[in-house]
Amino acid sequence: MTSDDLAYATIADITNHYRRRALSPVELTRALLDRIERLDPTLHAFVTVTAERALADAKRAEAALGHGQDASPLLGIPVAYKDIYATRGIRTTAGSALLADWVPEDDATCVTRLREAGSVMLGKLITHEFAFGIQFPGHRFQPAKNPWNLDHMPGGSSSGSAVALATGLVGGALGSDTGGSIRGPAAFCNIVGLKPTYGRVSRAGVITLSWTLDHTGPMARTVEDCALLLQGLAGHDPADPASSREPVADYAAPLRQGIRGLRVGVPRAYFLEGVDAEVEKAFEQALATLRELGAAVTDVEIPSIQTSWAFLAILMAEAFAYHERDVRAHPELYGDVLRERVLAGGLILGSEYVQAQRLRSRLHAEMLEVLGRVDVLATPTTPKPAPTFAAVWDPSFGFPKSNMPPFNMTGVPALAVPCGVSSEGLPLSLQIAGRPFDEATVLRVGHAYERATEWHRRRPRI
Amino acid sequence: MTEKEDDVTLDEVRARMKAAGIEIAENRLKMVRRLLSDALAPIHAVDSRAARTLEPAVMFDAIRSAEPRRDDDDE
Repeated sequence: MTSDDLAYATIADITNHYRRRALSPVELTRALLDRIERLDPTLHAFVTVTAERALADAKRAEAALGHGQDASPLLGIPVAYKDIYATRGIRTTAGSALLADWVPEDDATCVTRLREAGSVMLGKLITHEFAFGIQFPGHRFQPAKNPWNLDHMPGGSSSGSAVALATGLVGGALGSDTGGSIRGPAAFCNIVGLKPTYGRVSRAGVITLSWTLDHTGPMARTVEDCALLLQGLAGHDPADPASSREPVADYAAPLRQGIRGLRVGVPRAYFLEGVDAEVEKAFEQALATLRELGAAVTDVEIPSIQTSWAFLAILMAEAFAYHERDVRAHPELYGDVLRERVLAGGLILGSEYVQAQRLRSRLHAEMLEVLGRVDVLATPTTPKPAPTFAAVWDPSFGFPKSNMPPFNMTGVPALAVPCGVSSEGLPLSLQIAGRPFDEATVLRVGHAYERATEWHRRRPRI
Repeated sequence: MTEKEDDVTLDEVRARMKAAGIEIAENRLKMVRRLLSDALAPIHAVDSRAARTLEPAVMFDAIRSAEPRRDDDDE
């Protein structure tokens, strides 16, 4: 196995190597720490590398394997966390000057669950400031670079997570998704990201952006790896008031069932408006592949889908509610873009917030009605490939319309899977959304598509 | 950046800032106006009387977390 093959091994492959004693957790961890040291000065995916902790975790995993305790599919798997997940004794910055030196006393529930599953923690990954701002030149923390073209953004806000996966620095990563922050970076970096159902994965110990829109979830290089990570994360957490008691499904086993007979709905209104021609072409080809795999693909309508952008009013108002005290007391510790986005939330009237939530109720009801007639929805994940830093840093860039927030508004699971490449060599992505708590079907469709294509196997030249 | 008829005006942004006790640098107001205009366009388009059956709360299944713990709950 070459060093690149080792770095890009899937979670499932790593586990197989461990069980055959062809690889040890310490060996893999040392190789990845070397790779991080070599590549991250260019990529800026990591805020903090926890080498000592990683080696201690790896040795513990190695001992467990030596005693035949290899039941956990995450045993010895090297992972890293978006830097809004609290980590006990390890600084958690939220990509912000405000929290640059904050060292939490407790782990987020997700961190605890992956630790208990035997994973190896490699470190903390850069996030857009408080998962909402953008790192500008001169910011306290440098932005991660898109490995497919260093002049382009990797997406956000889980930017470090996507870059670390796309460059083989980690085996799995966690992100958070309030309006697409797992799926967007996954799309722009050619990896897989899952926003589970609202309430499926705990948010306890994860810094809030918007209480009613925030989701936590896995990012990986394959759909199967996302399923394995989700299995380790999902389940009720009394520490998260929105956590569900819905039983946890088996996410990995159904992947091999195929998708013959499944119904795929395509909501063209909104989701295909303003989409680049090559994104649309890749999307239509993805639909053709799903048909070839036996799925029935039909157009569907979500009548009030155009009201989805009320999302922004909810996001900004809730973000202001969270940040008001700090942004009033220490505005200088907020980056320009974040400060203005947060303060703009303070300009939204109470009645406007209520109306936005009412529109959300209607959208939710319509989404569930459509999902009663089809098993999943398919759309392009993003209307365009990754923009350049120069474009994003222009004050007129704003907060562009996106295909991802409708699924935060409605809380249903949504997956981003690589589905093509632009003429500039930038990744393109397919979004698959499903019924509440039916991550298993969403993952099943994503896995079937992934196995029928080669897009996820592409690696950036770094 | 083109202005649309339903855009929030700069004067309205300033009035809202005054009411909320919020200060934003004058040279950043265009960006804030754009954010507010985008966020509020679908809301201002709603006829609230025509949509009066809508409640402002999405009832996710996660609401079950408020239920007492069950004996058969193995989570």
